[in-house]
Amino acid sequence: MTALQVSHVSKSFPGVRALQDVSMTMTAGSVHALLGENGAGKSTLIKIVTGICKPDSGTVSLNGAAVRFANPRQAAAGGLGVVHQERNLVTRFSVGENILLDRLGKRALSLVDYTSLHREAEKWLKLLDLDVDPRTIVSRLSVAQMQLVEIGKALSLQSRVLLLDEPTASLTPNESTVLFRILRRLRDDGVAIGFVSHKLEEVFDICDRVTVLRDGRNACDSAGLSQLSRDDVVRMMIGRAERITTRAPRPKTDAAPYLELRGYASGAGHRDISLTVRPGEIVGLYGLVGAGRSELARAILGLSKQIAGEVRVLGRAVHISSVAQALHDHGIGYVSEDRKAEGLILMHSVLANGGITIWRKLANALGLLRDTTIAARVGPVLRRLEVKTPSVHQIIGNLSGGNQQKVSVAKWLAAGVRLLIIDEPSVGIDIKTKAYLHDLIHELAEQGTAILLITSDMPEMIDVADRILVMDGYRIKGEVENDRSYDPVSRAIMGLIHEKAAA
Amino acid sequence: MAHAGADNPIPPGSAPRRMSSGMRLLLGNEFGLAVLILLTVAVFALTLDGFTSPFSIYTIGRQIGIDTMIGLAMMAVIVTGGLDLSVGAIGVCSAMLFGWLMQVMGVPVPVAVPVAVLFGASLGFVNGFTVVMSGVHSFIITLASMSIFFGVMIFLTRAAAFNGLPPQVQAFGKMRVLPGISPLLLIAVAVCAALVVFYRYSTLGRQMLAAGANARAAELSGIRTGRVIVACHMLTGLLAAIAGLMVTARTGAAVPSMAGQLGQDWLLPAFLAPVLGGTLLSGGRVSVIGTLLGATFINIMTSGLLLMRVGEFWILAFLGVMLLIAVLADRTRQVFLTSRGMI
Repeated sequence: MTALQVSHVSKSFPGVRALQDVSMTMTAGSVHALLGENGAGKSTLIKIVTGICKPDSGTVSLNGAAVRFANPRQAAAGGLGVVHQERNLVTRFSVGENILLDRLGKRALSLVDYTSLHREAEKWLKLLDLDVDPRTIVSRLSVAQMQLVEIGKALSLQSRVLLLDEPTASLTPNESTVLFRILRRLRDDGVAIGFVSHKLEEVFDICDRVTVLRDGRNACDSAGLSQLSRDDVVRMMIGRAERITTRAPRPKTDAAPYLELRGYASGAGHRDISLTVRPGEIVGLYGLVGAGRSELARAILGLSKQIAGEVRVLGRAVHISSVAQALHDHGIGYVSEDRKAEGLILMHSVLANGGITIWRKLANALGLLRDTTIAARVGPVLRRLEVKTPSVHQIIGNLSGGNQQKVSVAKWLAAGVRLLIIDEPSVGIDIKTKAYLHDLIHELAEQGTAILLITSDMPEMIDVADRILVMDGYRIKGEVENDRSYDPVSRAIMGLIHEKAAA
Repeated sequence: MAHAGADNPIPPGSAPRRMSSGMRLLLGNEFGLAVLILLTVAVFALTLDGFTSPFSIYTIGRQIGIDTMIGLAMMAVIVTGGLDLSVGAIGVCSAMLFGWLMQVMGVPVPVAVPVAVLFGASLGFVNGFTVVMSGVHSFIITLASMSIFFGVMIFLTRAAAFNGLPPQVQAFGKMRVLPGISPLLLIAVAVCAALVVFYRYSTLGRQMLAAGANARAAELSGIRTGRVIVACHMLTGLLAAIAGLMVTARTGAAVPSMAGQLGQDWLLPAFLAPVLGGTLLSGGRVSVIGTLLGATFINIMTSGLLLMRVGEFWILAFLGVMLLIAVLADRTRQVFLTSRGMI
C-alpha cells in the first residue's frame, strides 16, 4: 500500500536548482532509504514533504490523497512524523512533556494533567523499549535516548509515515543496533519508514527499497534494494563506480613540521592530541559527527584555551589566543564547514569577503585602503579559482554555493597562509566544483602549503589526504597511511573508530 | 589546473562603479527620502507663512545638525546590531564636563572641546567593554549605564546648570556662516563626510561593518571582533559628546536637563534618523547620508507641524508613527535581503 508518494517535484532557490522532477514512493511496512551525496537534494525533499518549503511544481500525496502542508505542524497532524538530524527537544522539560509537547492541555489555560501525561508517554517509551521514567529531564539522557524520545514524539502523533534524517550520525554501533531492532518492529506493524544515511552498511542492513538523488534528480526511484549491489548504489550516488582515484599516492615529505601539537589538551575537551603537519603535506582528520575535529581546528586557532601540551609552529613553541594572531603571526587559515554562518559575510560583496583577511596588511599609515588596492590582490586569486561572478562588487549571497565556497578558500590564498585548515570543503557544492577543489588542495600542497583536511566524506578523504588521523571522543585514535585503496583504508579507519566499542 | 582564458569570469580591475541590486535598493531608500523632503518642503513653503523665513531656515538647519549628530551616534553602534540607550546621558555628561571645565576650572575653549569629546568616547568605551566582556545584549548594559552616567552627573553637579560659559560658546551657537546657515549644520555635514570615508575606506570602518554583518565569520577571518565592537561604542560616545557640545552652544549653557530625564529625549531622533535613512537594525550596513536625510526629514515635518499649530504631543505621536513605519521598512529590507540569501 502506498503511504507517501512524491511525484515529479521540482524546486529552485535563487541560483540553485535544488530538485528537478524528483519522484519517490514509500509503501507501508517498508524501510525506504533516501540516499545521495551532500547537496544532492535530500534535505530539500524532506523539507518539501513536511511543508517547510513549497515545491515549484509536482505533488505530494499521503495515503492516496494529494496534500500540501503549509508547515510541519500540519504535516504532523496529517500523520507524517519527522525526526530531524539536529535535536528538537526542550532539554529542560521532562521526557513525557517533550513527547506530548503540543498536546499538554486542551486549551491554552487548561491545567496539565501530569499523571495521565506521563502514563500516555510511558506507552510510547515502552513501544520503543526505552527504559526511562517519563518524568526524567531530557538533558540527563544520552544522545541515543534523546533520539528515541524524538521517534516516540513522532509516533505519538499516530504517524504512519516516519522520516528519519541521519538517525545514526551520533550513535555508537550498539545504539544503532537497538534503533534498528525497533525500526524493524515498527515496519512490521505497517509503518512506512524513510531512512536517510551516509552509512551504506546500515542501509543494506535495514532498508528494502531505495531512492537515490544526484544533483537534484532521481538517480533511481524507489528501486528494490535486494537487486542492487553496494557498487550499484555508489555508482548511482556519485555518477560512476566506487571512486577510482587517478591520483597516485604522493611522495612523502620530510620537511620540518609546520605545525606540531604534542600532548595537547584544550578547554573544549581535547586530550592528549599529538599531530604534525608538514609543508606540502595533506593530513586528513577523519571521525564521526561529534568526534571533536572542527573543535580541534578552532582550538588551534585560539578559540578554545590550551590547557596542556605544546603547540609549535615551525619548531617554535607558540601560544595562539585569537584567530587574528593565528592568521597574522603564524599564517594559519581556516575554511569553515559552515560557509553561510561562519565562512562568509553573505550581505557583503565578493571583494569584501575575499579581502577581509588582508585589510590590515593593505592599509596605509592612516588605516585607509581602497577597493582598487584590494582588488589588485584578491582579483588574481579569484581568477585563478575561476570564481564566476558578474563583478567583484556582486553581493556574495547571490552566487552559487560552489562559487561561494571558492571565495571562502580564496580569502586565505589572498592572505598567503602557510597552513590551511579546511573543514568539510564539499558540503553543499556540486560535483564539478568538488573535483575542482580537490585538485586545488593538491596544487596548494605541491606549492608547499601545509593542509589539514577535515571531512566526513570517506571517498573524499581517501582521494585527497596523504595520511589520515582518526579522531573519536576528542582524542586521536590512530593514524592510517593512505595508499588510495578504498576498502583497506576505510576498513582501517572504521576499525580505529570502533576500537572502543569492541574493547 | 587550467589557467583562466579569454572568457575570464572577472575582467582584471573590473569596473568598480557597477552597482549591485543591493546598492540600488539602498540608493532607492536615500533617493526616496530626498524626494519626500523636497515634496514636504514644497508643500510647507507654499501653504505655511513663515516657513521659508530666514530665521526659520536657520533654526531648522541648526536643529538638523544636532539631530544628525545624535542619529550618527546611534548609527555607529547599530552597525554592530546593538544599540546604545545611553547616548543622551553621554551627551549631557560630556556637555556638563565641558561647562565645568570652562566655568569652574577656567580651561580655554579649544582645550575643553577635545577633552569633553574624548570623555564621551571613554564613556562609550565603558559601555562597549562591558558589553563585550559580559556577552549581555547592549540594551540591558546601556539601560544600566544610562542611569549610572546620568545619576552620577546629577550628584556631582547637584543638578545645577553652568551658565557662565565663555561668550564664544554662545556666539558660536548663534553664528551665521553663510546667510541662514549655522556652523552646527556644517559640523554635522563635515562629520558625515568623514564617516562616509571612514566606513568606505578605513580598515576599522570595514571591520565594523564585517563584525556587524556576521560576527562569527568576521572573527574566523582574523578580525578581533571584541575590540571592534568596543571601538563602535567609543565612536558612539564620541559623536554623542559632539552632539552634547552642539546643544550647549545653541543654548549658551550646559544644562543637566537639556536632553530630558536620563537623556531620553534624544532616543527618538537617535533611532529615527538612521532607520529612516536605511541603516539595517540587524547590523552590517550603514547609511551616513541617509541619516542626514532622515534627520532633515524629521525636522522639516516637525517645524511644519508646529507652524500649523499642531500640539507638541501630537508631534511626538507623529514621530512615533514615523519610527514604526521606518522599522517596518527596515523589516521589509531584511526580508528582501534574506529572500536573496544575503543574511
